[in-house]
Parts: sequence; C-alpha cells; structure tokens
Amino acid sequence: MQIKLDGIVKKFDDVIAVNNFSMIFEEGTLTALLGPSGCGKSTMLNMLSGILPVTEGTIYFDDEDVTNLPPQKRGVGLVFQNYALYPHMSVLDNICFPLEIQKVPKNERIEKAKEMARLVKIEQYLDRKPKELSGGQQQRVAIARALIKNPRLLLLDEPLSNLDARLRLEMREEIRRIQQETKVTTIFVTHDQEEAMSISDKIVLMRDGFLKQVDKPQRLYDEPNNLFVANFLGNPPINNLVGKIKDGRFVLSDDSASIRVDIKQAKEGEKIVLGIRAESVALNDQDPDFTAVIKERYTMGKEELAILKVGSGELRVYLSSDFSHKAGDTAGFKLKSKGVFLFDQDTEDRVDE
Amino acid sequence: MRKKHFRFSFKKLLVYFFLILGAVIMMFPFYWMLISALKTPAEFNTYPPLWAPGNWFNMDNFKQAFAMAPFIQYFMNSVIVTLCCVVITGFTTILGAFAFSRLKFPGRDLIFSLLLSLMMVPFEMLVITNYETVTKMGLINTLPVLIIPFISSIFYTYILRNFFLSIPDSLYYSARIDGASNWKYLWRVMVPIAKPSLVTIMLLNAISCWNSFLWTLMTINSDRFRTLPIGLYAFMTEGGSDFKLQMAASTFTVLPMIVLFLFARKYIVNGVARGGLKG
Amino acid sequence: MNKTKNMSGRFNRSWEPFLYLLPFFIGILVFTLYPVINVVLISFKEGYRLLTGAYTAIGFENYSKVLSDPYFINGIKNTAVYIITVVPISTMISLLFANLLNQKIKGIAIFHTAYFLPLVTSATAIGLVWKLMFNGQIGVINFLLGIFGIGPFEWIIDPNMNIYTLIIFGIWNMLPFTTILLLSGLQNIDPLYYTAARVDGASSIKMFFRITVPLLAPTIGLTCVVNTISASKVYGELFPLFNGRPGIASNLYTVVYYIYDQFYLKWNLGKAAAASIILFLIIFVFTMAQLQIQKRWKYY
Repeated sequence: MQIKLDGIVKKFDDVIAVNNFSMIFEEGTLTALLGPSGCGKSTMLNMLSGILPVTEGTIYFDDEDVTNLPPQKRGVGLVFQNYALYPHMSVLDNICFPLEIQKVPKNERIEKAKEMARLVKIEQYLDRKPKELSGGQQQRVAIARALIKNPRLLLLDEPLSNLDARLRLEMREEIRRIQQETKVTTIFVTHDQEEAMSISDKIVLMRDGFLKQVDKPQRLYDEPNNLFVANFLGNPPINNLVGKIKDGRFVLSDDSASIRVDIKQAKEGEKIVLGIRAESVALNDQDPDFTAVIKERYTMGKEELAILKVGSGELRVYLSSDFSHKAGDTAGFKLKSKGVFLFDQDTEDRVDE
Repeated sequence: MRKKHFRFSFKKLLVYFFLILGAVIMMFPFYWMLISALKTPAEFNTYPPLWAPGNWFNMDNFKQAFAMAPFIQYFMNSVIVTLCCVVITGFTTILGAFAFSRLKFPGRDLIFSLLLSLMMVPFEMLVITNYETVTKMGLINTLPVLIIPFISSIFYTYILRNFFLSIPDSLYYSARIDGASNWKYLWRVMVPIAKPSLVTIMLLNAISCWNSFLWTLMTINSDRFRTLPIGLYAFMTEGGSDFKLQMAASTFTVLPMIVLFLFARKYIVNGVARGGLKG
Repeated sequence: MNKTKNMSGRFNRSWEPFLYLLPFFIGILVFTLYPVINVVLISFKEGYRLLTGAYTAIGFENYSKVLSDPYFINGIKNTAVYIITVVPISTMISLLFANLLNQKIKGIAIFHTAYFLPLVTSATAIGLVWKLMFNGQIGVINFLLGIFGIGPFEWIIDPNMNIYTLIIFGIWNMLPFTTILLLSGLQNIDPLYYTAARVDGASSIKMFFRITVPLLAPTIGLTCVVNTISASKVYGELFPLFNGRPGIASNLYTVVYYIYDQFYLKWNLGKAAAASIILFLIIFVFTMAQLQIQKRWKYY
C-alpha cells in the first residue's frame, strides 16, 4: 500500500510538533523516520497509526482518505518501543489477541499464530510468558502480533533502542528479512543514523517538525541538501569549516588558511560552511588543494585517522596508511570530488549544486 | 573468629527470645479463647486458672451455645453479606478506577481530588443520614442494608486507580489499534494484570465487612439477619452470660477470618501496609 | 481539537466515562456526599426529628448544648487520655516488634503470622476474651500479676479501673497494624546503608540509633498520626468489655460513643450531628498534620 501525506500539521496547544509535512511512502518499502529526539518523528508515527489526530492536512492509504479514521479501522500493525506485550498472557495468546478481538475461530487463529511464530522464529517459545523471554525474543513476539492481522502498514517505534548492542545488529537484520518476506509497507522511527542507514530503502530525516530530506540512504549521505543532514549522517561526523568565498577559494573566517574548492554556484564573498567527510581527503604534495600540519596520527588497521590543522581549523580525516609524514610535519592535501559540500551559513542550504 | 561466632549466636538467641515473647503476647488471647471454650464448668472455675483443658475435644460448650442461638444462621448471613459486598464493591471499584485512570473526560482530576478529600470524613459522621436513608428505603432489618451503603469505596478505587496508572499506555494503544473496545481492554488486559491489587482490595473489604459492628448493630435487630459479630454481641447481652459459651461462640466467629488470613497473609499484610483497613 | 494532549481522548466517546462511573457515583452521592452535607445541616437544626425532618429552629443551639454536656466533656477527656497513652506506648512496642520481625532468620514467616493475626479478627470476639481475662475472680491477668505481687484489681467492676482496662486492650489492638506500617518502613530502608556502616565498624546499637531511627522517622511520625486518628474514634472496644456501656458506671464516654448514644439511644439527632462535626474537625486537624508530614518527607 502506498501512503501519501499531504500538508500534515500537528500542534500541541501552541507548540508545533510537525509542520507542513508532505511525502509519499512507496508500496512494499521499508522507510526510516530519522531525527534527533523531539524532532516530531514519533508524533508522525502516532498520526499514521491514528493514535493522535492530525491538526491539519490529509493522510491517504492508497486512494482512501484515512485522516479521520480511528486507529482500529486503519488496518495498521504497531510495534511499541517497550513491545507492549500483555504480561499475563502466553506468547501464543499475545500473538492471537488481534484475531481474538476480530472473533476469528480459535483453531484458525492458532494456525495463523503458529505461522507468524515461524516467520519471526519463536515457535519454540509459544507457551512462555513475555517476561521469560529476552528482549530480542519479545521484539519478535511484538512483530508477530502486529503482523498477524495482515496489516496494510507496519509501524515500528524505536524498535531496537531497548536492546543491547549485539542483539541490535541481529534484530535489524531480522526486521529487514521479515519485511522483505512479507512485503508489507513498513515505517520505523529511530534516532540512530546507523540503524536507519543499514536497513531502510529510504530515510526521512526530520528536524524541529520539518522534513529536511528524503532519499535512499547512500544518496542522503552523498548528496545532503543542507548542513543538518550532512552533520547528522556519518561516523565520524563530517568536518565543518566556517569561512567565506574569496577569489574563488574558500577562506577561513579569520583568514588563517584557504582551501581550493569547486565553488560552483557559490557567490564571491558568500559566508560558507565547508563540509568535508573524513574519507574525502587524500595526501597530495604535487597539486595540493590546501596544506595542513599533521597534528596526530592514529593507526586503525589499513586506514589511519589523522587530525589535520588547517590554519585555525581542524579536520579529522581517514588517510591510507602508506605515507611517511610524522606528526608535526606539514603536507599538501587534495579534496576528492565526493563528500565535499558548501553550505550557506545562514540558510544552511547546499550552495554548490 | 570463634568469639565472633559465639556473639552472633547469642544475639540470635536474644532475638528469638523476644520474638517468642511478642508472639505469646499477641497469640495469648486466642489461646485463652480456645481453651476456655473447651473447658468443663469445673475446670473453668478453678483458680489459679488451668492452662489447658482436660479434654481437647470437649465440644459441650459449642453444642450448648449453638442450641441457644442460631449461630449457623449468623454465619450464613455473614457469608452472604461479605460475598455480596466484595463482588459489588469490586465491580464498582474496577469500573471507577478504570474511568479515573484510563478514560478521559473534563474535570477528571479535579473530581478525583475532591473524592480523595472526602476520604477523611469518618464513617461515624455519615451514620445519621445513612440511617435515615435506609429507613426510607425500607431496608432496616434486611440483609441489603449491610451491603447497599457500601457499594462504593473511594479508598479502594484510589488504590486500584494508582495500580492501573502504572500499566504502560502502550498496552492500551496496542489493544485499541487491534480493535479492542475499552470494555474488552479493561477485562481482558487490565483486570488480569491488576489481579494482585484486586485480590488485596477484596480481602481487605471482606475483612472489614465480616467484622462490621456499629452499622450492623443499629440496623439489624432480628435474629434472622444478624451477622456473626452482632449475633455474638446479642448472645452476650441477651442472656448468654456464661463465659465458656461466649468463648465457644467467639471461637466460631473468628475462625473463618483466621483461615482466610493463614491462606492470604501476604496479600493482607501488603494491603494494610499501604494504608488499608482500620479507616 | 488541539487540546487533546492526552492520547486517550481519541478512544472514548464523551458519554462512555459516564457509564463506567455511574455505579460508583451512585454509591458515593447517596451514601457519602449527601450525608456529609446533610449532617452539617442537621447540626444546625434544633429538635430535628428523624424521617419527618421537622425541626423547631436553626442556630448554634446544638453545638452549645454538646459543648456544655458533661457526658461530651467526659468523652473528650477520655478520648484524649486514650490517645496520649495508647498511641505512644503501642508505637514504642511496635518499633521493637518491627525490628524483631525484620530479622532474616529461620521461621520468621510463622512469627509474622502470629503477630499479624489479630488484624483480621473481630474486635467484639476478642474483646469478650479480654473481658474474661480481666475478670477479677478467675481472670488470668490478675493471676499473672499476682505472681509479681501486683493486684488483684477489679478491672471490669471497679469504675475507676475501667479506663486502664480500655487502654490495655487498646494498646494490644493497635499493635499489629502499627507493626506492619513500621515494618514496611524498615523494609524500605536501603540495605546499602547498613553494609556501609558495618564496613565502617558500627555496632548494631549504633546502627539502630544512627541509621534506622532517623530514616524511619517519617514513617514513625505518619504512623502516630494515623493511629491518633483511629484512636480518636475509639468506641467499639467498649461494647464487649462493658456490656455495651461506656464503662461499667457510664463514666467512660468517648466522642464516638457519645455520638452513638445521642443518636441511637437518645434520639437527639441534632446533638449527635453537632458532635460528629466536632469529631470531624478534630480529625481534620490531624489529617492536615499527616499531609504535612507526607509532603515534608516526600523526597527523603
């Protein structure tokens, strides 16, 4: 099912939680709503499920306007951050519950529940109570319960944040697998960029109630259209240098250094934030874009993390480790074409496209 | 090392000594009640008193007491009244606590805090009007007079509401999204989860209902509808001045609650610790 | 629309909460709220007649009658004596009991049962037992005191002894409830404090006075207030001990017994109402004290 959001606004009293949000979620895709806490992503999820009414705008499930449809009539499956399993019911009863409400005959619903349990690989725990399961197993039960009624849309609220690091890796693969097996349109909320990057077809990046950018994970990383998106994605985070365009070069605010960049649409004298990804710098003494002092080197396997001093600015970059410069040496560096962005200081928008 | 071990066990001995002393103080009236009920007239009137009856299975006093007053009838009345109280109050409490914790309506929290302030009104202050009310309803000298005035309890509703509030919201939303009605959610999810709290409330209610005295004394004066404590009191004032028989009747009166306590001590003690019982 | 901050607003129709509250509210309105208002009104009506509702005048007559009634003054005096003896003594004994019951030793569950059993038993039945034990001729209490060369006393027959009889029974009656409150207070103290003190080499006595007592102080205070409130309502103990009379010579009125007497035995409804309002005011003061304690120690 395709979901279309048209000009969604959500106000709590006078606070605007979601602001003029429009987009389309394609059928059968896994989409991440990503952003820092308080960005409105959970509010958005709750409006999709129907728990929260929208203040303005329209939600379409395919061609059906569901804006004013109560949650139980939307046909959505929702997995809560704390899983919301009923503690007094067995795993089997938990999974069956949505069908019990729909008055599906007992045999039929147990049959269906077992099928779901196989899908999420918990068929050996059907008789247990939720508290006898690990966090990851509880998560699986919650997903099975959400899927048993064949929802048109599966929503997951911070599905991995209650798990430890190892289970988190395992479960995110599982969510991907289950989504691909069932082909159900899935939207999940997360504040973890790595989580979003690793499994989703598309990422919706939000801040302060605004949709900042929607794209495939790699494209979002490669082509951020504003400074927030560039800063939010990537580990280590992108380097930011503050300065302006002067004589076709980027010059730091205090004139302590300059860097040759492809300024494209940037205007002379424009105040700029130069974003440079850690992997977008290479040693090049023959034709350097800038020179810098190598302040420190840390060996990390075949790569090397170096801290470069460029005038008053600092860059953390990955360099291939086959170079002979020692800490304290000065060297020339070249920027790669990928992963170098110019942003306007005030609007924070890309200016080099 | 050895010295420490000795001191440790000495301290333990001291603790046991005082524990037993305290237990004797608390249990002695019950022991005295039982053995007095089992004594023959001669044994009973001996001084200094005998510490045990000659025959532990001497049922004479019980037989005599039961012949003089319809204690079985009293017992049945007590059981009926207590069961009705527990079930009806339990029902209104569950519904009220659900509305005050889960449902949304204007003025909810204001109304609830007003109700809480009503809790400090002693029952003694309500007795006059309630007596008038039940008289007008024609309930004097019937069993419902012991039930109807107590169908709602602010205190139990307060306890259960607090428990309901501790159940995560996500369970509610999850059930509602799956299509469960409020009613279904209450009985299928909330009530089973709140079972320990509910059991506690019901036990406390059963105890105070079983032992209710002043109200019953005022509203019931026919043998047919007396409960055990009032039947016992009437037995004492209306001629049964024989202590042995009184002790037999007392034993019969407290026995059901003692059995209840032995089976449900943890629930009852927890409930009392949270401020239940004794107004 | 944007006022639905709480999400559950989405899930119930406006009339639904009303249906859930209906049974509860019927009980409260008829048997709590209306009586509260009505008893205030009655207390100002002179010569109020039950059922007909007729009265002769409105004013403070009932209050002035009650406050000058020697039986009521007797009741206030006895209730006060009862409170200031029973509450502190039973609290002190309970403090010892609670500490004993908080020990982690074998068989403690049996002791818990023994100590708390009186909670569930009818005061009437147990009162009768105490009446037997207090008996001047064959009573076991005189016998036990006689071993130490004390007594014998005529606990029941001598009117001057009656208040002591009531107090002793009252203390015993209050012990289980008080012990439970103090025990649960003790169990809420983080055992880490004791571990830390033991590492520092503190003795058991020192730990009791430097850790247990200060940390338990709020609970002790609260227990005292709660018990004071329940002690100010003393009356039920009188019935089995003294054949339904306030002391064998009717010299042992308490506030609630006075209300019962005026209402049920003498049918002076106005005076009974006025006396119950006075009782409420007394309890109100103690309740305010209770709330203050709870507020003050909330973040302890």
